[in-house]
Order: sequence, then structure tokens, then C-alpha cells
Amino acid sequence: MDNMQQQFVEAGTLMLAGMVFVFAFLGVLIVFINTVLARLAIKFPDPIVVPHSRANKKSSSKAKGDISPAVVAAISGAVKRYRAQHGQDK
Amino acid sequence: MDSLTKLWLSTGLANFELGQIVMMLVGCGLLYLAIARSFEPLLLLPMGFGAILTNIPIAGFSEAGGLLHYIYYAGIDTGIFPLIIFMGVGAMTDFGALIANPKTLLLGAAAQFGIFATLFGAIALNYVPGIEFTLKDASAIAIIGGADGPTAIFLASKLAPELLGAIAVAAYSYMALVPIIQPPIMKALTTEEERKIEMKQLRPVTKIEKIIFPLGVLMMTIFFLPSATPLVGMFCLGNLMRESGVVDRLSTTAQNELINITTIFLGLGVGSKLSAEAFLNVETLGILALGAVAFSIGTASGVLMAKTMNKFSKDPINPLIGAAGVSAVPMAARVANKVGLEANPHNFLLMHAMGPNVAGVLGSAVAAGILLALVGG
Repeated sequence: MDNMQQQFVEAGTLMLAGMVFVFAFLGVLIVFINTVLARLAIKFPDPIVVPHSRANKKSSSKAKGDISPAVVAAISGAVKRYRAQHGQDK
Repeated sequence: MDSLTKLWLSTGLANFELGQIVMMLVGCGLLYLAIARSFEPLLLLPMGFGAILTNIPIAGFSEAGGLLHYIYYAGIDTGIFPLIIFMGVGAMTDFGALIANPKTLLLGAAAQFGIFATLFGAIALNYVPGIEFTLKDASAIAIIGGADGPTAIFLASKLAPELLGAIAVAAYSYMALVPIIQPPIMKALTTEEERKIEMKQLRPVTKIEKIIFPLGVLMMTIFFLPSATPLVGMFCLGNLMRESGVVDRLSTTAQNELINITTIFLGLGVGSKLSAEAFLNVETLGILALGAVAFSIGTASGVLMAKTMNKFSKDPINPLIGAAGVSAVPMAARVANKVGLEANPHNFLLMHAMGPNVAGVLGSAVAAGILLALVGG
């Protein structure tokens, strides 16, 4: 029984020490990000323009290429029907 | 006649023991979960097959000279396989969301409460006859709450290798069950209004920040918690390979071929620990139960921490992202996103939840380091 009690005390100490340490460690990491990394980000910004626009172009052209003629035909068919119905309703 | 008897005695049928048959069925159960239910199939499939192989009578897969014996001692007993996998996970991880919103590290820290609270549960289980967990065993079981497979296997191989099979099965089963376990807890602890909260868009993160981040994390681990450096070090190496942009070949290998090859052997090695004498006992039931408790407490404490932070923060924080503080990348973040969408169809929390999610990976590695330092010595 005494042994169990001792184990509970040890587990409690471990829990307290563990949680305090995890919070402290990740807390220091927050400070590190907010100070060192934030400053670095201002000093050395990414050379954005060229690769960014390229990536955009690529993704937009890809997105366009992804729509198959069948889908386009289906959508335009649906639009036509909707317009026709809409006209009749009016 | 004599040779006929000899032949019969060399068949599996003549040598089967009941325990082996039961464990083969357990192996088949794991294969079923992997194939039919897609529960963590990458690991459960080789693990289930390993369980079948190791229980074949006479073949001696897990005895000295057997294939699984060598796989286990070469890769798991030494801790090499989980560490290589951790490097691959590092190469797959994007810390952008975390760097953009560093406060979410606190959510990753809070969710680790599941680990430390479960220590009590494991010790309390010693009241049940037939169960005898030491503090080392309890620590290895509690790490299931970190929801991180490689970390759980790494710690179990160091602290309680005899429980490794049960711990790995529990860890991966619960990770697969994240979409079922988490949502009820998340909903019970938040109001509809809180679940609808929309968060501010994240700032873009520069390349230099992403490169310096893993180095900073490593430096801090070296200073404050060297016992966690095997896990954190390999993780940071993988991440630096990814973010530096100069070793794409290595990064691609770490996150594809290398992690795949290692996963096969890790699964087989863990499966080799699923022998009848090690698995068929009350302790395994206790481990499975404690794993679920650890997971639930981790989820709850993450959500409660996020609720508290939302009250004091000037930018709104949706409490659902707190649940992603248990690692289980990226499943836990996806669950937070899904539950958020149910409350508000225009609210996409995925990127916000990735912050606490990767913070959880770091948090559980730190927790494992603490347990190793305090209990392992």
C-alpha cells in the first residue's frame, strides 16, 4: 500500500514537472519565433514577385486545363435549360 | 511408421497451441482493420502479418536466427526505425502555420496533459489483480496520449519493451479512431457560437524563417532537454532538408522511399512482439483502456486551453483547433476543420489547426524526452 502511495506521489511529481517543462519549452519557442524569426523575416524578405506569378499562372492554367469538354458541355446545357425554364416561368 | 510420425510432428497442425491460434486471429483482425476499414493500413498491415508470422509453430521467426528476431533487434530495440520515420515525418511537415501563429504552441503543450494524467491511471490500475505496472511501464503506456506512433514505439522500446506490442497496437488503433473519438468531446466542451468563430487569415511566412526554425528548435533541445534530441534531432534534420531547398533528392527520399521501407520493417518488428504470452493478459486490456483515456484527456485539455486563450486573445481563436494539439498529423487537424464546417459552412479551420497539430508533434517529443530523462535513468 505504501509502495502504491509512493508511486502516486512520483506520478504526481512527474506530471507537474512534465507539464511545467512542456509549457516552458514551447513558451520559449514562442518567444524565439516572435523575436528572432520575426526580425529575420523583416530583414530578409522573400524575393516574391517572379516565382509567385509563375506559380499562379501555372495553377490557373492547370485549373483551366482540368475542365474537360464534357463538363463544359454539361454546364452549358444546364444553363440553356435553366434560361429556357426561367423564361417560361416569367 | 516412424518417419510418418516424424512427418506429422513437423506439421503446424501437430504443434499449434491455443495462444498461437488466438494471436493469429488477432493478426487477422489487424489485417481486416487495415484492408476493409483503412485503419492506418500502412502500419497495421505489416504489423498484422508480422503477428501471424511470429506465431507460426516451429518456424521460429522471432527466435534467435529468425527473420523477425533480427528485424526487431536491429531496428526497434536500437530505436533506429522510429527515428528514421521521425526524420521522414519532419521532411513532410510544414511549420508555416505554426510560425505564422506561434501562440498555437500553447495548444500543443496543453494537449500533452493527456500523457501525464494517464500516468496516474496506469498506477491506479495496479489495484486490479493481475496488473503490475512500474513507473517505467506507466510512462510508456501514457505516451499513447501523445498520438504519435513513432514516439510511442521509441519510448516503449526504451522503457518497457515487453509491452511494446500492446502499446503500438493501441497507439495506432486510436490514431485511426481520431475521427470517431474526438468530435463528441469537442462538441461537448464548446458552444455552437464558439464553433462558428472565424479566425484571422495567417500571415505569409518567409523562407528564412522556415530554415532557421528547425535549427532553433534543435538548439533549444540541446540546451534544455538533450534526452529528446534523438527524436527532435531527426525530426529537425528531415525538416531542414525540406525547407533548405538544396537537397530535394534527400528530402524526397526521406518522405517517400526511406519512410516506406522503414514502415514495412517497423510493422513487422512490432508484429513480432505480438506473441501469445506477451499479449494475451489483463495488462493488454488495461493498456487499451488507458490509451483511450489518454487520448480523450489530451483532446479535452487542448480544447479547454483554446477556449481560455480565446477569452484573453485579441484575435479570435476557435476552440476546436485545440483538439488538434494531440499530434496525429494531419488527421486531428482535418477533424477540427470538419467539425468547424458543420457549425459554419464558410469556416475553413484546416490551416489554423495545422499550427497546434505540428506543435503537438514537438510537444509529444518533448514529453517523451522528459519521461526518458526522469524515469529512464
